[in-house]
Amino acid sequence: MTTPRLPARRRFRRTTAIVAGGLGAVLALAGCTPEPSPDTDVEWELTATTDAPSGDIDSYTWVSYAEPFSLDYAYAFDYSDNQVLANVCESLLRLNPDYTLSPGLAEAYEHPTPTTWVYTIRDGVTFHDGTPLTAADVVASMSRHLDPAVGSSWYSVYQNVVSIEQTGDREVTVTEAIPDSQFNLAMGGSAGVVESAATLEAAGADYGNSSGGVNCTGPFSLEEWKSGESITLARFDDYWDDSLRAQSGEVEFLFMNDATARVNALKSGEVDGGWMIPFDAIGQLEASGVGDVYFGLSTAVSSLIVSNLDGPLGDLRVRQALLMALDRQGIVDAAAKGYGDVTNALTTESVWVGASDAALDSAFEGLEEYPYDLEEAKRLVEEAGATGEEITFATAPIGSDFNIIAQATAAAAESIGLKATIETVTPNAYTALFSDPSAREGIDLFYTVWYLSSPDPLEMYSVLRTGEFSNYGEWSDPEFDQVVNEAIAIDDPAARSEKTAEAQRIANEQLPWLPLFAGPMPVFMGERITGVSPSIAFLYYPWAATIGAR
Amino acid sequence: MALADPAERTAARSGGAWVGTATLRRVGGKLGALALTLFLASLLVFFSRFLVPGDPVSFLLRGRKPSPEAVAQVTEQYGLDLPPWQQYLNWIAGVLHGDFGRSLQYRQDVSTVIGERLPVTLGLVLMAGLMIAIVGIAAGIVAALNRGRVLDRAVLIGLTVLGAIPSFVGAIVLIAIFAVQLGWFPSFGSGEGGLDTAYHLVLPSIALAIVFVVLVGKVTRSSMVDQLDREHVEVATSRGLKRATVVRRHVFRNAIGPILTVSGLLVAGLLVASSIVEAAFGLAGVGSLLVQSVDRLDFPVVQAIVLLVVAAFVVVNAIVDLLEPWIDPRSAAGAGAR
Repeated sequence: MTTPRLPARRRFRRTTAIVAGGLGAVLALAGCTPEPSPDTDVEWELTATTDAPSGDIDSYTWVSYAEPFSLDYAYAFDYSDNQVLANVCESLLRLNPDYTLSPGLAEAYEHPTPTTWVYTIRDGVTFHDGTPLTAADVVASMSRHLDPAVGSSWYSVYQNVVSIEQTGDREVTVTEAIPDSQFNLAMGGSAGVVESAATLEAAGADYGNSSGGVNCTGPFSLEEWKSGESITLARFDDYWDDSLRAQSGEVEFLFMNDATARVNALKSGEVDGGWMIPFDAIGQLEASGVGDVYFGLSTAVSSLIVSNLDGPLGDLRVRQALLMALDRQGIVDAAAKGYGDVTNALTTESVWVGASDAALDSAFEGLEEYPYDLEEAKRLVEEAGATGEEITFATAPIGSDFNIIAQATAAAAESIGLKATIETVTPNAYTALFSDPSAREGIDLFYTVWYLSSPDPLEMYSVLRTGEFSNYGEWSDPEFDQVVNEAIAIDDPAARSEKTAEAQRIANEQLPWLPLFAGPMPVFMGERITGVSPSIAFLYYPWAATIGAR
Repeated sequence: MALADPAERTAARSGGAWVGTATLRRVGGKLGALALTLFLASLLVFFSRFLVPGDPVSFLLRGRKPSPEAVAQVTEQYGLDLPPWQQYLNWIAGVLHGDFGRSLQYRQDVSTVIGERLPVTLGLVLMAGLMIAIVGIAAGIVAALNRGRVLDRAVLIGLTVLGAIPSFVGAIVLIAIFAVQLGWFPSFGSGEGGLDTAYHLVLPSIALAIVFVVLVGKVTRSSMVDQLDREHVEVATSRGLKRATVVRRHVFRNAIGPILTVSGLLVAGLLVASSIVEAAFGLAGVGSLLVQSVDRLDFPVVQAIVLLVVAAFVVVNAIVDLLEPWIDPRSAAGAGAR
């Protein structure tokens, strides 16, 4: 699932890891050290997994930038919700730190016809309350996404689903209206979570909130939720998968909205670890000597969304010119402190799981690079007759990177003869840009850090089809639509990736969004703990279970 | 000599039945005004939300691609499809039964959401209130009794300096010194309840109290000074009463009226300022909830909190009004008695 940057929480620092070679992602993870940029002398490399713990630990604390609104999987689509939920509730499939999928609560799945998916439910799994997992629980859990009264955030995964039925003792069959390869790929995320049907029934409208709680199958159970302050998870002793048995008796999540407070708490040892370390704090954390910063795989790309194609940006030459007028390496150095690489694609190689070498070559090699070239950019704007026209860039006081990118974009636009206005809105109003067309009126451009939840680049490109909800500029290219639709219907990942590569090339040429850069997912662990696998898969993988005593 | 001293008035009063009916009428009038104020406040609180741009439903569905049925269903669930006046009637009927609706952001009963956070804020406001009362009144008395001397000046300057420190600055300084440097107090969270919570709330309470001490201190001082100059004080002194007795019975008791009035006003200020302190100390209280709910268009929560603050303010001031004649019978008898 794609997620708009919801800026009420600090969404900015997520950027992407470049994995050389999609299929062999595991091996490739270790070896990617980009050239240090000339301005900032930072060195970073991706870590696939940290040292294994020396043993169990009684408990550790973890800091998050915000409290989850809810632990209901139907609404869990944000860093704050998912990083907790991933350890408590499990899905039919498991999204691993290298972004591959493996069996989860479904021990196997079949795809007997192009429109049916048959899941075999694992035997011997119990919920935290001790009741056994059944196929009926799976049907009840999945059906909620189709219930309008629930208003699931994951509805789009289920948009082609016609029925979800129990077709055997341990078998659930999902039938779709059209062939849709993406459905099964999303079963590693929140869309595939299984909750006890009895708990859903009993908790009703309070399911997943701090009074109703959750009752799932993960390595940790929800122990205590102190509203606004903390959530404590406790090891689930009857967890089915020995390889992911929790190495800590308890994990306490603390919520600190202020980035400085979070960094201070890590530095002082008050808190043991945290995801999404602000890039400008990495230096001081590394220097403090109280723990280590690691960089994990990410699937996010920082881009500028073109939200109005009726204005000057409707002309491809102006979009090209604007991208060429942006000193993207300078932006990486200033906004991400050098922890990232300029990219020309809207996806990272990390999501091209199962892609063929040919597809990867086609998708990433020889893309139009839009090098920094003011003269050429000016010429393009003049040629388009757009000199002197106005564009409006929307931003919000969310983080320093938002500010830097707003200023840089406005300066770039001015430098090529456009008139640029920066419109600063509240974080909430900025969130509305992603959901409310009326909020986008008069806005030509806004910044996003867009991550993918499924190991397939089509998750990105399917939202750029004509008429899609998140196709904010109402960009429309019939050839692109056809390529994406054909790709979605292809089951074989390698064959599909070749089709998807075509879509990536079209997006690279037509620039519905302007790609800026992609960087890693930073994580910090203090001197008491070790064992995490750094990866943006922490949104869905039970990452906290592998952390134990250093 | 007019019977200006309440101590003497009380002694002189025969306790006739006319006091009872007058008091009842006064209390009744106050309660009526209270109800009217709350009703008007409820109108303001409820309808002001229609002036705020933004669609609560699009927030509920949080930027994801919703099905049209879901939009319709969710709109209906939260009663947002009804005309505003009907929404108000539903809301106010619920409020009268203690039901403030459902929080949009937490998908939980508003009463639960607020109830879970209220103890922290009440504890904070209570502790800060005690600090303000003790420190402010003590400082005011010390200053008044040393009027014009060095100690008076020192207290006044000290209070003014404290009053100039905004809560958020105070919070940062307190954390830096007492939590980070000295490690005496925790810098974060509300603890495990009971004494531990009180311990966690020490620094936040100080940060909250600092600004308001000056108000109570200055009012106490000027009110005391005002009384010290009065004839009845001279009379009492000339009767040969001890200074401590004169100050306690004839000066402070008379001076307490304005102090109470200011304290009533403080309640709203404390509740509002608590949002800043709560954010600085990572406390999950009603103040920080209010700020967050405003940003997230969680109208039911905002309405409930604002109504509670208004109610607290009005009720505390009504209590102050009702207490005043008990402390100072002049106010019950009206200005004519002076």
